[in-house]
Amino acid sequence: MPHITVLPQGLQVVAQPGESVVDALRRQGWRSRYKCRRGGCGVCKAQLVNGRVRYLQPVAESVLGTTELAAGRCLPCRAVPVTDVVVDLGAEPLRAVLTSNPVSRTTTHE
Amino acid sequence: MSVIRLGYVHVRVTDLAQARQHYQDTLGMDAVHEEDGKVYLKSWDEDDHHSVVLEEGGVGLVKFGYKVAGEGALDAIENRVRAFGAGSERMSKGDNAGVGDGLRITLPSDHVLELYSEIDYLGTKVGKLNPDPWPRDLRGIGVPRINHALITTEDPALLERFFTDVLAFRPAERLVAGDEESDLVGSWMFCGDQPHDVAFVKGPNGKLHHFAYEIDDWSALLRAGDVMSMDDVPIDLGPARHGITRGGTIYFFDPSGNRNEVFSGGYRTGADFRPITWTMDQAARGINYTHREIDQAFLDVVT
Ligand code: FES
Ligand SMILES: [Fe+2]
Repeated sequence: MPHITVLPQGLQVVAQPGESVVDALRRQGWRSRYKCRRGGCGVCKAQLVNGRVRYLQPVAESVLGTTELAAGRCLPCRAVPVTDVVVDLGAEPLRAVLTSNPVSRTTTHE
Repeated sequence: MSVIRLGYVHVRVTDLAQARQHYQDTLGMDAVHEEDGKVYLKSWDEDDHHSVVLEEGGVGLVKFGYKVAGEGALDAIENRVRAFGAGSERMSKGDNAGVGDGLRITLPSDHVLELYSEIDYLGTKVGKLNPDPWPRDLRGIGVPRINHALITTEDPALLERFFTDVLAFRPAERLVAGDEESDLVGSWMFCGDQPHDVAFVKGPNGKLHHFAYEIDDWSALLRAGDVMSMDDVPIDLGPARHGITRGGTIYFFDPSGNRNEVFSGGYRTGADFRPITWTMDQAARGINYTHREIDQAFLDVVT
């Protein structure tokens, strides 16, 4: 499973399959800078220093443009590591949190 | 007063299937029409054809529509738009599914606002004859209707003047940074007797901060929060009370990152209502009266 290294802190967490950078951090008790967690606001935008990520959902060009992508920018709330990655989240410190990820359920809405 | 209410909000979504799941299963709206990459939805207590349109590709506001009543009202508004120096064009029946002829205005804030008086009548889910207070087959939150939208503009004073002069809205609450007209930071404006039917704060032109659904009361709000937890909907703020409008609120995000709100309560306004003023040092209390603190990003995050 891919390792995520967060700069500048140098913190390391392991991502589960299909898990975004933000979700992996949350699960392990860290809140990074984010707002919508859905790829829409760009608040989480960060530099992918090393490694590759993929997006399971389409990302709006207006949030993360092709030139930004080419320059190594990424959206940690939607970016799922494919390899080990190093992500520079910028100066804002990580905050320790206790979060509960969704209980996996087969949603039966009638 | 010729503008009656916010009729529809048309937003872009990055993934139509996920958006449908949110608006249909979590919020409880019904799809009434589909065409090339667009879904039209209606809430259970709305009479008209639709109140939300989801369009695949991107994120943010395409346009929003307000319903107008009265013979000749659209012509009169068209003249006032021209006198104001803003741009408008006639829109034709069928430009929006179910919606008749109307007027498409480009606001001084670059948003596209459509006005119409004809729209297909589908009726509420409980009907008009000896109705039950709510339908038994609601899904998720079961939102009854949309209520207002909050957009951003580089020039709040100009936009307030537009809504006042052209559309006969009145400000219920104003957020000011000083005594000059140009110090206006935000305005919450109404066309009927709600605390707001539209609101705007200073920010980039053409952007959407959120659109809101009205729900019954504080306990409905808390129950909405339960559904959001069940469906892993990211919550931005709340449940809390707004100082501005006195409404109860939860702000949350749809699967593309467009901000939604469930809103309850608020006071009544009307033609003789005198506007309330909020100063910037009390802005946090104005927005979140309960916690008296908001992230700076709350105001900056728009789609
Ligand atoms: S938090 Fe909004 S785009 Fe990542
Ligand atoms: Fe609102």
